[in-house]
Amino acid sequence: MARAVRGQANLIERLDRAFNPLTVAVVGDKRALGYLWLRAMSAFQGPVYSVQIDPAELPGIQELGVTNYPRLQDIPGEIDYVVCSVPREVSPRIVADCIEKGVGAVALFTSGFAETEQEEGVQLQKKLGEMARAAGLLLIGPNCMGIYNPRLGLRHSGEQPAGEAGNAGFISQSGTHCINFSLVGHLHGIRCSKTVSFGNAEVLEASDYLEYLAQDAETEVIGLYLEGLNDGRRFFSLLRETARRKPVVVWKGGQTEAGVRAVYSHTAALTTSSAVWNAAMRQAGALQADSLDQTIDLVKALLYVRPGTGYRVGLVAMTGGQSVVISDAFVKEGLEVPLLTPASYDKLSSFFNVIGGSYRNPLDAGHTVAMGFAPANLQRLLDILDEDTNVDAVALEIGAGFLARRIRDNPAILDALTEALAAFKKRTGKPFLAIVHPAHMEEVMAQVRGRLLDRGVAAFATFQQAARALRKVIAYWRFREGID
Amino acid sequence: MSIAQLIDRARSQGRTVLTEIESKQVLEEAGILTVKARLAASAQDAVAAARELGFPAVLKIVSPDVTHKTDVGGVRLGLKSPEEVATAFDEIKAAVKRNQPDARIEGVSVQAMARPGIEVIIGMTKDPQFGPVLMFGLGGVLVEVLNDVSFRIVPLEPRDARQMVREIKGLPLLQGVRNQPPADLAALERILLRLSAFVDKHPEIEELDLNPVFAYEDGAVAVDARIVVS
Repeated sequence: MARAVRGQANLIERLDRAFNPLTVAVVGDKRALGYLWLRAMSAFQGPVYSVQIDPAELPGIQELGVTNYPRLQDIPGEIDYVVCSVPREVSPRIVADCIEKGVGAVALFTSGFAETEQEEGVQLQKKLGEMARAAGLLLIGPNCMGIYNPRLGLRHSGEQPAGEAGNAGFISQSGTHCINFSLVGHLHGIRCSKTVSFGNAEVLEASDYLEYLAQDAETEVIGLYLEGLNDGRRFFSLLRETARRKPVVVWKGGQTEAGVRAVYSHTAALTTSSAVWNAAMRQAGALQADSLDQTIDLVKALLYVRPGTGYRVGLVAMTGGQSVVISDAFVKEGLEVPLLTPASYDKLSSFFNVIGGSYRNPLDAGHTVAMGFAPANLQRLLDILDEDTNVDAVALEIGAGFLARRIRDNPAILDALTEALAAFKKRTGKPFLAIVHPAHMEEVMAQVRGRLLDRGVAAFATFQQAARALRKVIAYWRFREGID
Repeated sequence: MSIAQLIDRARSQGRTVLTEIESKQVLEEAGILTVKARLAASAQDAVAAARELGFPAVLKIVSPDVTHKTDVGGVRLGLKSPEEVATAFDEIKAAVKRNQPDARIEGVSVQAMARPGIEVIIGMTKDPQFGPVLMFGLGGVLVEVLNDVSFRIVPLEPRDARQMVREIKGLPLLQGVRNQPPADLAALERILLRLSAFVDKHPEIEELDLNPVFAYEDGAVAVDARIVVS
């Protein structure tokens, strides 16, 4: 099979080999790291080899059931992907070995390079880059975690899910954010297709990975955590081109003076004023996030909320107090909360319990839905909002005070609720999401969110998070449609 | 003179800043309407130019060494007759010699006084990451105090120009307040798009300022301009 792509051949094909390796080698893993990398790779579908010359480490590696070789070149057959965790002084030798072995890509977990801002590290990184570029070796990092492909069990950490495919890609200058995106995202119904932590970006930078994920059929949504860019113009034009086909969420680190200082000590990147950066992102059609939570909210909304282009939201809350603040939150985030059509009010008046409730929009539906738990009434009022021509999107609060207690006492209620909302999601053509506050029953509510996400219903923990994600996602679809 | 010739001439004179007259010639080549300016070497030249361009006239000092023309007495507005133009010519030269004796004086630019419109500014600078970036804002004090400007990376698409003009907080002023006619937003968008295409083709342009541009109900015109080349 002509799978091994060597030399200066097409970058996408070479990255494809790196993101979908058949064989993996870990160089320099050791007990002091808790055999982090060999444990992470224990779920990998194909053969995993260790390269280690320290005799003291060999029994530990053997215990893990991994075959060890003294050099990469001693491993029989081809090696597609290497993780290198040796001290920095040794790294040029390992990169030379990768080149000689014809490895597809090497991720250098090793740190102590340009990020130290010291001449020795800067020069060493440059040397590795020159070696890799000359030989056509894909060098990821240094100072990074490399590639995560859950489907293949190629991981950054033993904690990450393995054996399942996903549709969200993530490209991160930081290893921490990369791992957290996969771990925290998993709790929010986000399944990764492929992620990469690329550190100091000596040979490959964010644009290279973006170009790859843009054409990757598995990846439907792309997230990025960025600190600096080597070639801003290339990134901008790639982003502008990609966002017209796939949503891209960009989380930029270093938006404040102190943040910039921290970025500088990472990458020494030139910085752009935040006004120009924000303009560039709007122009390219990227969705902007400023934290891991917001990145996850946006990816979740993109994956779970049906695309829509209107800002008018029909709101359902379970108490008077929540009706007030859900409206405030949505309007403050730039959405509209319109009055409903007369036809809707006619329909609502036929069954809505106005004692302790109201239905102007927001619908204060606690008594109508929750007190006796009447899922049929919930369906009715969601359908009214679905049919209402003044309403473009629907958001529903699931009240901790009412439902959580009932769910805790009678789990069948959660089944009925989930079914009702999943059925509505299927039925409606409008963007639809739920807000499930943790309140005082965090565990119950986390369970509710998980169940809803399992059935394809987007669930957020606060009104503000839901409103912001909805507004940004609607703005994105308007961009795609050429409305704004 | 072509754009390349204008730039070459400036460079051969050791200049990176084009004069107002040169800058406007370059902009006209880029398809942007400017208030035409003529270089006058004498009071007689100035009068002839004013007759051709129309009264009331505006006279401004042309010197590569003067950055703030008003500060050195180098600007005269609303000159209604040939006599006023001739007098103003002599007074400007005298004032600049007095206030900035070492300034090289190439002459005086003559132009017709533009009819008043809503003042906006349009500029281009180079961002260290993204390269040429266009800027749009309201002119005068508003841009300085409120920093109410919008940006887009070159090259712009029609959507970008449309958003740029509408993104500023001062948009209502362009849309017409207190019985003022609205500004021709489409004309401003056209300027932005032409400028984008132009700077995209000319990487040697480092900085560009149209300040002010007068926006009218029907069109817009660059009243003053400044271009810096590499």
